[in-house]
Amino acid sequence: MTANTNPALFTCRDVRVSVAGKEIVKGVDLEINAGEKHALMGPNGSGKSTLAAALMGHPAYEVSGEIRLRGEELSALEPDERARKGVFLGFQYPVAVPGVTVASFLRAALSARQGREVPVREFRLKMQESFDALDVPKDFAGRYLNDGFSGGEKKRLEIMQMLMLEPAVALLDETDSGLDIDALKVVSAGVNKASGPDTGILLVTHYQRILDHVQPDAVHVFMDGRIVRSGGPELARELEERGYDWLADATSTAATGG
Amino acid sequence: MADRATVDTPSATSTRPQLDAAAVTEFSRDRGESASLATWRARAATVLARTELPDRVRHLWRYTDPGKLLPGKLLAATTDSGAADVAIPDTPAVVLVPGQPPRLNAAAESCGLVIETMHGGGDVTEGLGRAVPGEHGYFEAMNAAAFDAGLVVRAPRNLDLAEPLRVVIPAIDGADVLPRLLVIAETSARLTVVEDHVGGDSGSVVIGVTEILVGANAEVRHVLVQRWENGVRGHLTQRAVLERDARFLGATTGLGGAMVKVDLGAVLAGPGARSELVGVTLPEHRQHLDHHTVHQHTSGRTWSNIDFKAAVTDRARSAYTGLIRIEKDAPGSEAFQENRNLLLSERARADTIPELEILTDDVSCSHGATAAPVDPEQLFYLASRGLPAAEALQLVVRGFVESTLCLMPADLREEIETLLESRLRRIGGAA
Ligand SMILES: Nc1ncnc2c1ncn2[C@@H]1O[C@H](COP(=O)(O)OP(=O)(O)OP(=O)(O)O)[C@@H](O)[C@H]1O
Ligand SMILES: [Mg+2]
Repeated sequence: MTANTNPALFTCRDVRVSVAGKEIVKGVDLEINAGEKHALMGPNGSGKSTLAAALMGHPAYEVSGEIRLRGEELSALEPDERARKGVFLGFQYPVAVPGVTVASFLRAALSARQGREVPVREFRLKMQESFDALDVPKDFAGRYLNDGFSGGEKKRLEIMQMLMLEPAVALLDETDSGLDIDALKVVSAGVNKASGPDTGILLVTHYQRILDHVQPDAVHVFMDGRIVRSGGPELARELEERGYDWLADATSTAATGG
Repeated sequence: MADRATVDTPSATSTRPQLDAAAVTEFSRDRGESASLATWRARAATVLARTELPDRVRHLWRYTDPGKLLPGKLLAATTDSGAADVAIPDTPAVVLVPGQPPRLNAAAESCGLVIETMHGGGDVTEGLGRAVPGEHGYFEAMNAAAFDAGLVVRAPRNLDLAEPLRVVIPAIDGADVLPRLLVIAETSARLTVVEDHVGGDSGSVVIGVTEILVGANAEVRHVLVQRWENGVRGHLTQRAVLERDARFLGATTGLGGAMVKVDLGAVLAGPGARSELVGVTLPEHRQHLDHHTVHQHTSGRTWSNIDFKAAVTDRARSAYTGLIRIEKDAPGSEAFQENRNLLLSERARADTIPELEILTDDVSCSHGATAAPVDPEQLFYLASRGLPAAEALQLVVRGFVESTLCLMPADLREEIETLLESRLRRIGGAA
């Protein structure tokens, strides 16, 4: 809990999410301080993606509780407003937008984030830099957004967008899934690059693997819509060995990270 | 305005305007048209007299009431001084206004095309009615009998026109126009014609016919820009007839007007002919824009493709009917047709009927049609990157029409995009 005048970077208080009348996220408390990386792990269907999308402001979800970025309540804001304030969601399943090139999309996104029309030349340089950082082939720029991209290519593009948009807090929903070993290294490097003293990261993942490259400050176990346990990196290793069953009876006591 | 040849009819638009052969002949003579044209018109008038309004039971007219497209007064000898305001580019251009000689700019005079009015004394009936005879239908018969702004554009053999010819056809405030174009590309000629429908108001009706004769090994690109002002009603028919090894590209943007029906098509009449019809329409507010496309393969070894897209917003409506017809004597033909519709609001409506009539076995055909609202997950994805709702919606629509724009003439792409852009920017109620 932050009682001081310097609020945590990103906080959730009793966040509940219902979809079509069904409660999926059942009261989440989370606190990510600037400079921290948190991992959120949990079984399939436990509600991790629902939580992440709700934090971004997905319009189909009914959400209650508090969501704050640097103390500012986000709950009433549209997803685009949250994005411009510095929230980023890396999608588990990035959506294709046929006919819209990666370059034109990125320029629109960057201009929106920076609140100014980014000049073409400046944009090109910035895009090239981010492409190089992630070994993204040059021809990506002219291809249609996520259209016909392989799973791994889409994930690289998500990370690349994160690097360009320089969010304050990045919610990365299984950005490490479906990557080959080289891609995993590239993506991990991207996450580490985006992480800095002013940035917070929430990494939703099923695998210990990425946590070898991205050292988390806290690991949260998410089951049936709740964080049932929080701990340090050793918790992830324990999950890898023991699975989730041993936590199934755990009570839903709120846990704070860090 | 009205001269002796005028036949007065009640202004109620649902009443069929009357026209008799004698009045038509007199109208023609008053204009100094050739005797052969006067005869041609008179015959069309008799065809019109026995032609019923289009039958709503037929697919072609299922979605649009022909009674709402009727002009009030035929042979009204309309002229318009306002048309003088039309902006003329430096590239070859003609302005076509009833009762006035066609206004050609210098580039049009010297581009190598033979451009002449149908209302002079010359015999212009050669080829007239070949692609769109009076028997084509009610509006076509009406135009044949009573057209008041006719132009022939002839590309002599082997001419390769570098720049497109723009034919600007202003609708006239509070009045009717019946424009008629005949484009003839002789053997191995190449040309691009931009037919630009502009202007008008809620009292304007335009009943147009465009015939395009594409000779052996010739290539014609016809860009139909329909950007009338609000309230204009109209019916436009365009047909191309393709000889051996001819190529045709018909590109359409349906933007303006209140209630408009456009009937586009090509007849593939010689082996090796290739035709493509591509269109984008973006109806908004309460617009009712109806498009029909047809590819008729009368010769074997021919190829055709249709790609038509509608993105409909507000309470507007798009109707699309498409027909691929492959005649018995046209083996080895290939024909494709796709119509996709994007619904941008709850109350927007898009109807689509793609049809195939295939009378021979040896063909390769495909057709498809879809109508769907924008995927909310696409919008969420774009919003999650900071794009405001309206901007996200516009981007999705731009993406939607992109593959069709890619098929339009590349050298006119920028102009077409600019036209669409003014409309796209209003989508989602953005500033
Ligand atoms: N729109 C929806 N309508 C109904 N149920 C939904 C909807 N969206 C999600 N759910 C349900 O909510 C639950 C949580 O889904 P969610 O995708 O958040 O899980 P997850 O933890 O991300 O799983 P995974 O590890 O497989 O990605 C699932 O049972 C899912 O079926
Ligand atoms: Mg998930």
